[in-house]
Amino acid sequence: MRKRTLVLVMMAVLVIIAGAQEKIIKIGTLFPLTGPVATAGQRCTAAVETIADIINGVYPNLDLPIAKKAGLLDGYKIVLVKADHQGKPDVAKSEAERLYGQENVFAIIGCYNSAATKPASAVAERLEKIFMCGASSSAALTERDFKYFFRLAPTDRIESYEFVEWFQELNKSRNANIKTAAVIYENTEFGKHAADEAKAASAKAGIKIVADVPFTPGATNLNSEIQRLKAANADALFGAVLGADYSLMVRTMKQANWKPKIAINYCSGYQDPNIAQQLGQDGWYFMGSAGYTPEFGMRFMKAVAPVEEYFKKKVNVPFDSNSIQEAVAMYVLALAIEKAGSLDTEKVAEVLRTTTFDSPLSMGGKVAFESPGGQNIKAQSVISQIQNGKYVTVYPYEYKDGDAVYPMPSW
Amino acid sequence: MGLFIQVLLDGLWAGMLYGLIAAGLSLIWGVMDVINFAHGEFLMAAMYLSFFLGFLLKIDPVISWIASGAFLFVLGMLTYKLVVKRTLGKAMAPLLATFGLAMVLKNVAMNRFTPNFRILSGTIMEGRVINLGNVIIPVPNLVTALFSLVVLGLLYWMLTRTRFGWAVQATAMDPEAARLMGVNTERISLLVFGIGGACVGVAGGLLPSYLATHPDVGTLFGLIAFMVVAMGGFGSIPGALLAAIMIGLVESFAGFYIAPVFKYVAVFGIYIVVIMIRPKGLFGW
Repeated sequence: MRKRTLVLVMMAVLVIIAGAQEKIIKIGTLFPLTGPVATAGQRCTAAVETIADIINGVYPNLDLPIAKKAGLLDGYKIVLVKADHQGKPDVAKSEAERLYGQENVFAIIGCYNSAATKPASAVAERLEKIFMCGASSSAALTERDFKYFFRLAPTDRIESYEFVEWFQELNKSRNANIKTAAVIYENTEFGKHAADEAKAASAKAGIKIVADVPFTPGATNLNSEIQRLKAANADALFGAVLGADYSLMVRTMKQANWKPKIAINYCSGYQDPNIAQQLGQDGWYFMGSAGYTPEFGMRFMKAVAPVEEYFKKKVNVPFDSNSIQEAVAMYVLALAIEKAGSLDTEKVAEVLRTTTFDSPLSMGGKVAFESPGGQNIKAQSVISQIQNGKYVTVYPYEYKDGDAVYPMPSW
Repeated sequence: MGLFIQVLLDGLWAGMLYGLIAAGLSLIWGVMDVINFAHGEFLMAAMYLSFFLGFLLKIDPVISWIASGAFLFVLGMLTYKLVVKRTLGKAMAPLLATFGLAMVLKNVAMNRFTPNFRILSGTIMEGRVINLGNVIIPVPNLVTALFSLVVLGLLYWMLTRTRFGWAVQATAMDPEAARLMGVNTERISLLVFGIGGACVGVAGGLLPSYLATHPDVGTLFGLIAFMVVAMGGFGSIPGALLAAIMIGLVESFAGFYIAPVFKYVAVFGIYIVVIMIRPKGLFGW
């Protein structure tokens, strides 16, 4: 009898413990943790992790509503389930299926590479689960009219029009005489879409595309690619070149002794502070879009700096334009769960579709998703240029902290 | 005309680099008939050593190739002793074992050094070029090409003109007969792996002058090295050099005159064509 009582008590304790353990919200992170863009993927994971830590703990020094109490709703903790898609779309798809199906995650945040985000978010849509996308920039992702897909970053289309507007401004104010452009891009979903947008925006502005140069990511050399660019000798160069390929591109341009008047990059190796630092002077005067730079943050996004300190402890570098978008993805998802007041996917998705969120971690301070499609219509970016090793915001003028060096000085 | 010569030279440099990387594989796989699937990762290991010597001790790649070569000589011998020797004669076992070794090396690099791209700045050869009118000759590529010629030339000389080389060939052709003739086949195999490793070590030692180092850097180079050896003909050092230059030129001309994205298609295409016409490769035994 006593034994039976003991067993019953133990079972009751186990049930209570199990019940207590149930107060978790599993969120999947799906980034390239290995492969050619693994550094970026690891930073994105660390960014999500930083916000998850802030949600789970109490951080009164941070100017974020989620930092004031521990957990979400009535004490739910965020538990991240980390997955690696290696930069491969097929792996991204199967990992998304595993995360939703076997790990039972509430939502996935990912995938950095647009090519991986596309199939992974299609899995989410089929299963009617939330997919938060921070940094993938292919415009095609939000043109599918998905109901459960939400993307924070500005698209390549928005950036392309901003780039061309910048060229026109330079033509007007500095007699820049930018009439021709070339495009170099990795032959992937991201690269091809970025190039298409660059060509479309250029065509509208009357800028002639004189060279169209796709390349295989991870190439052993970019000699023929750069020779093609040199032969065309365009005034402007659009680049969609990630990771180590970006440093190879810059060094091969130097080797070939060629530079355009202006070189401007989409979400790419340009934005990687490590690459920018290691390239030294060779990397100076290139330009690119930026959703965030530490210098910009100091002036216009003051809430970021204390959060960035926690991020730096994980990866030793400040946020970049990509990692901060993934942090915002986690942050906005947390706000939506709080506002929905439940873990019902439909309710949380509806909040995401209909709410304008205050986001001190975002440029412009607001996040709102169009529905269907899921593009953040409040997304903004600026154009920066690396000068003396620092990212200097040069356009739009209301955000600028320095004048652009134009044309790029020769090698 | 200047542009044509530039494209030609770019192809030549790329080809010579492939030749240098493939030299060690040509010895191990081509002559000894043992597949080392970790060849690309050997290159990566040598690049890391050269990078850290440059970054931490300010030793330039024009010097640190010696250390990389020596390190890979030891790594090559260890690979033979600990991995290959135990699996020899067991069908696919050496292939799978070295494939496993490749995974281990890559993941150790990922774990220890992170996937960060590491670029060595301020090297002696960095950015140096020789201007010949419209044609630019990058010094790092020229130096790599010269090393390629020297290393492949030494290997050829060693294999065809020295007693050690004859012993290597005898061991490759019939190990039992070689043993009966007094050849210490065990020692020969060990040294072949060491020398093969040293060759790729030299290439890896020089590369950080102009290429970023990261855990995946050896993958495509390794694949191309396999193609070079198979296309050149097993056991033929001149064949490997010719195949490497052919691959470099096809890559460069296809990339410039057809489309950049087509260059690897053309490279693998020409490989298939050569192997279909001459399965033993250009100069195969």
